[in-house]
Amino acid sequence: MGIASLILGILSLLIGLLSMGFLGWLGAFLGVIGIILGALGRKDYEMRGMATAGLVVSIIGLIIGLLLYMACAALLGGLGELVDLRL
Amino acid sequence: MSFYLSFGSFRIPAYGCFIVLGVVTANLIALHPLKRYRLDGNDFLITEAYLFLGAFLGAKLLYLAVHFSSIDWSQLTDFSYLNQVMQGGFVFYGGLAGGLTLLLVPLKLHHIDIFLYIRHFIFLIPWIHAWGRIGCHLAGCCYGRPWQGAMAVIYPAASLAPSGVALFPVQLTEAVGLLIIAGGVFWLDIRKGYRHTVASYLLFYSIWRFILEYFRDDAARGSFWIFSTSQWLSIGLLIGTIAYLYQKQ
Repeated sequence: MGIASLILGILSLLIGLLSMGFLGWLGAFLGVIGIILGALGRKDYEMRGMATAGLVVSIIGLIIGLLLYMACAALLGGLGELVDLRL
Repeated sequence: MSFYLSFGSFRIPAYGCFIVLGVVTANLIALHPLKRYRLDGNDFLITEAYLFLGAFLGAKLLYLAVHFSSIDWSQLTDFSYLNQVMQGGFVFYGGLAGGLTLLLVPLKLHHIDIFLYIRHFIFLIPWIHAWGRIGCHLAGCCYGRPWQGAMAVIYPAASLAPSGVALFPVQLTEAVGLLIIAGGVFWLDIRKGYRHTVASYLLFYSIWRFILEYFRDDAARGSFWIFSTSQWLSIGLLIGTIAYLYQKQ
């Protein structure tokens, strides 16, 4: 679980940074799953170091994804209606 | 007020920034109950992550349901269109329902006593929500109706709210109410040892949200008959919560 968490965390971080928020929802999604796996992995004493690394990277990935992406209720949906994006 | 917060040449969306501030401060505050009740930090993170995941999915699903007719469902397999849909808004009540529903996973799969965690940490939901509303205020979304009274806000041309019109500061009003609810529920739990903190939160928030809907004016919300979608959900939530508390008394 620690390795999976680390991989998801790195993916989350890369997606957040490289897409500059365009795919932030995907980065945040992967980051949350990385946090779950990381926290579960920390319960296994032998894999605790790897899981902790995965947890930390996933949290950073989630924060970056949220920072660059998060839209509030009706925010971009409202814009979509204004410019007739059929959203 | 600005959709973006500028740090030199770097700009970040105000809403995202305030949500992150809310989540980070909530986790710092959570250290107090974690220590006080000697709860497991990993289980807390797992519960929080599932809640967040469910909230994300639920809030998006309800937003899509409210905007059902304006979405071209046949194009959802097109990734660029799907991404465009995912970039759209959220509906808070959908997030609340989705988040609480997905908590069944850590309960059943990981055998975490989620009821204990929800009871002691439910006050963090209105706390984070309040920060989000401050972000809404800065971005100009979820704006209030035209208002000539005290505390009226006028948005600049680049914002999402109608510019040059005096509006009721409904986002800030909701944020203040949410902070009071968060403080009240925290006090009930820590000082009074009250068990029904979740019901207390739902009760107070549903009343507050029902009232504030009369002061909102953003068009991108559904309505049916005399009430908005959120008012109907507030009524349902209020009745359900009162029935639950009555049964438990």
